[in-house]
Amino acid sequence: MNPTSPESQTGATNAASCRVPFLALFGGGALWLVVGLTLAILASLTFHKPDIFANCAWLTYGRLQPAANDAIVYGFCVPAALGVILWIFCQLSESELLLPLLPIVGANLWHLGVFVGLIEILIGGSTGFPSLEFQRGGSVLLFAAFLLIAISAFATFGARRRRELHPSHWFLLAALFWFPWIYSTANLFLMAWPVRGVCQAVVDWWFCANFLFVWTALAGIGVGLFYLFGGPNDEEATGPDDNQRFLTLFSFWTLILFGAWCGIPQGAPVPAWLPALSAVGAALTILPILTIASVALRAVRTRGAAPCRGGPRCSILFGTAFFVISGIMFVALGCPHIGPVIELTWFAFAQTQLQILGFLTIVLCGAICALMPRVMGFDLVFPRLARVRHWLFISGIVLFAGALAVGGILQGLKLQSLAPFATVTASVLPFYRVSTTGLLFLWLGALLFALNIFGMTLKWKLARLHSCLAWLRAPEETIAAADTAAAAGNGRAK
Amino acid sequence: MKNGFHVFLAAFVALGISWLGFVLGSILQLGVEGQATVLQSSDLYPVQRPGAATMGLQVYRAEGCAACHTEQIRQEGVACDVVLTAMGNNPAAVKKAVAGLGAQISDATNALPKTVLSRVSKAGADAATASISSAGGTAEIHIVATGPDIARGWGVRGSVARDYLWDDPVQLGNLRAGPDLANVGARLGNVTWQLLHLYAPQSVVKGSAMPPFRFLFRVEKIGGAPSPDALQLPKPFAPAPGYEVVPTRDARNLAAYLVSLHADVPLFEAPFTPEVSTK
Amino acid sequence: MSGNHSSNPSSCRPPANRSGAPTWMLVLTLILGYLGGVYFDHHSGWFSPAVYSPYSSSTELAAYQPKSGAQAMAARGHLLYGQICAACHSDDGMGKPGQAPPLAGSEWVNEKGFHRVAEIPQIGLTGSIPVKGQPWNSTMPPMGAGLSDADLAAVVTYVRSAWGNHAPPVTASDIKSVRSTVAGHPAISGAAGLKAIAE
Repeated sequence: MNPTSPESQTGATNAASCRVPFLALFGGGALWLVVGLTLAILASLTFHKPDIFANCAWLTYGRLQPAANDAIVYGFCVPAALGVILWIFCQLSESELLLPLLPIVGANLWHLGVFVGLIEILIGGSTGFPSLEFQRGGSVLLFAAFLLIAISAFATFGARRRRELHPSHWFLLAALFWFPWIYSTANLFLMAWPVRGVCQAVVDWWFCANFLFVWTALAGIGVGLFYLFGGPNDEEATGPDDNQRFLTLFSFWTLILFGAWCGIPQGAPVPAWLPALSAVGAALTILPILTIASVALRAVRTRGAAPCRGGPRCSILFGTAFFVISGIMFVALGCPHIGPVIELTWFAFAQTQLQILGFLTIVLCGAICALMPRVMGFDLVFPRLARVRHWLFISGIVLFAGALAVGGILQGLKLQSLAPFATVTASVLPFYRVSTTGLLFLWLGALLFALNIFGMTLKWKLARLHSCLAWLRAPEETIAAADTAAAAGNGRAK
Repeated sequence: MKNGFHVFLAAFVALGISWLGFVLGSILQLGVEGQATVLQSSDLYPVQRPGAATMGLQVYRAEGCAACHTEQIRQEGVACDVVLTAMGNNPAAVKKAVAGLGAQISDATNALPKTVLSRVSKAGADAATASISSAGGTAEIHIVATGPDIARGWGVRGSVARDYLWDDPVQLGNLRAGPDLANVGARLGNVTWQLLHLYAPQSVVKGSAMPPFRFLFRVEKIGGAPSPDALQLPKPFAPAPGYEVVPTRDARNLAAYLVSLHADVPLFEAPFTPEVSTK
Repeated sequence: MSGNHSSNPSSCRPPANRSGAPTWMLVLTLILGYLGGVYFDHHSGWFSPAVYSPYSSSTELAAYQPKSGAQAMAARGHLLYGQICAACHSDDGMGKPGQAPPLAGSEWVNEKGFHRVAEIPQIGLTGSIPVKGQPWNSTMPPMGAGLSDADLAAVVTYVRSAWGNHAPPVTASDIKSVRSTVAGHPAISGAAGLKAIAE
């Protein structure tokens, strides 16, 4: 933190302060991503062979599917997003990570909470509320862990040198604030003091829209803007021009103002004003989606479309494209006339999966693969695999969500046309088979991602062990060597 | 936006108004709902489910049945049927009026009541009723809920908030990989059928894609006498000779819950004219 | 919303001018906002707790409520008759041989007074009674004992006005008065018992 020292030196120190928290956040996240996709594949087997797990209670579809979903969303998406937010705040503040103990404790609590919650779902203790299946124990741990990590993020944000906010600050700060509110509201009204009757469903819909759409959009777009516009130390960074700054601000405001009103399905068993208000919110949510699309297009045009090699920018452009598609699907689900046809079908499922696995996961994985070499001071253990992982994710999500979306539209139309129910189920099956293939691709990609993260952890631990042994033998030399290595590592990462 | 506080304020306002509207608004409005009188009756609706069914809801939740089944009937529209109930003193004039609506009617006394117009708008039904009553006859308007769910026989009217008054957790579901269950007790109200379907769906519904829930049943060696609870399974699904399939308490509760799912009475917020059973 | 940024003085850049906002975006915002308002006005029922889709206002919902009074009562009576009575007396009121006598054209049903026909479903009837010139020796359980006054009135009124019957309607308060007099009585015994009841 000495301003006179060379910038690379400061950068390396700043990056090094993130090591342990990031390994805890991303390592556990990578593990949960693999676990979640494994559970999702097991769940999907039930549709190919209905009696495959007929004798095994904890492998029944109704338990596996929510467990898979929660493992991916809570196990991977949230901690990975928190880690990347911490990194971006460090970069934008040109500071080291403040209060680094909090994210370390937070990450461990978080992963413990996910573990407890998943076990409870699998033994039949799910709460029965979509996307909120974790019982009290798990959700209290998650909430506390989130607050711990967010405190560290706010401290790092407060230590920034430039007072002016970067556009990604808006999105990420709002994301840090958004989650505790919606998560506590939902858990208090569904579990601590359960509301009566259909209000439970309203609270759950409100939470799902605000979490699975608005929160994921805030986090993913915030991360994306950082890599599109570049941080303060990025030589190539063009930064947002006035026009882009305005568009980004507009998309931020419209996203939080209108996105928060989505989520009540058309034709839901609630008084008409709720779905009507939600339809208006959904229609207006097209504004942030189109604006984000135009910001991303401008960024591509000004910096030129470099060939895609799986770098962060490439991941972010693909992720943004998936966000725009998923956003349009989300708006369609909330619209009158269209929504009722497609909303209780696989189409809605495909939209959520595209948002989580197509948009947020791809953006986060791209960012993590870009930031980890700088944090650790050495390159990815398997840099080629990172590129393979990128394309596996892209092809996987296209097959998985694409097939289910098309199948869902077909299913919706057949349900409307009064075709016998068995025909409706049968007509979706070929699409479901394709989607399982897509899941396998995603699973393989997650495995490669986890390999890279665990490889880095192992390499770092071995290096530490090595330097400890060396220090025992010759303390003076080792410190000098370590400094040189850190500087060299930092240079290479750039 | 200048500093972090502005961003915080923006998010606070945006989320706050949606929280007030959707969370607080719905709790204040729907949270105070109680039982209501069924239309044209003094019965109260909904009545609390029987004990076994309430426990069955917890099995439904634990096994995640809502991952594939919804419990919400969607009503797309509403239409009217005009039913002639009495000819009055001038049958010839009534017949003429009915013929003007495009229907025919025979002379037999028990031909009444007869539906003379079906699935018309409220205005059309009002006009038809007026023309019949001016001819001296009596006609009734029957309200009919319409939409694909209702045409499939999944329900008789759209689901409303009151249907879920006693349920905790409310299991609306969000995917129809299987049929809707909001009114399953009315169309498949037999506990034995439900148990057979849970143990071996294909034994009662040919080509069913539902996974069997065999873990809710015990396959036991027949002791002195066969258990009275044992399922009478058709040949390919039956256990080995000398064994019988006995439902566990969970299976019986789940079946009781499914049978208790009835959303088929007219309410003020969801009016319709119940079909009179004509055997 | 845009003012928030353009009034920002701390930026070292010149403040963003209005040209930063593409015209299509502002036009689209206005159009969507307007359409949204119109849609909400037409479909929300203005926060009424009783208005559910597909109804769009409480006026429309009220138009579809069953008419109160005689018509509603007849419909309810018809419904309950189908559920409770029709199994024995059959839908057309002609009864079933060996099970239950006809109601259509029955002299007991068409009496001007309602006491006899209102008591039978409440406490039941055993023994032989003549109906339309034929003796009927069967037992009627108190099928209507569990019905509310209004429901029983609706069924009795329906029976007294359907299939060519022409007796005056019975009200819920009539049923109430009958119910209080028969409380705890055993089933009516044959024609003699029935005749003992004042018409």
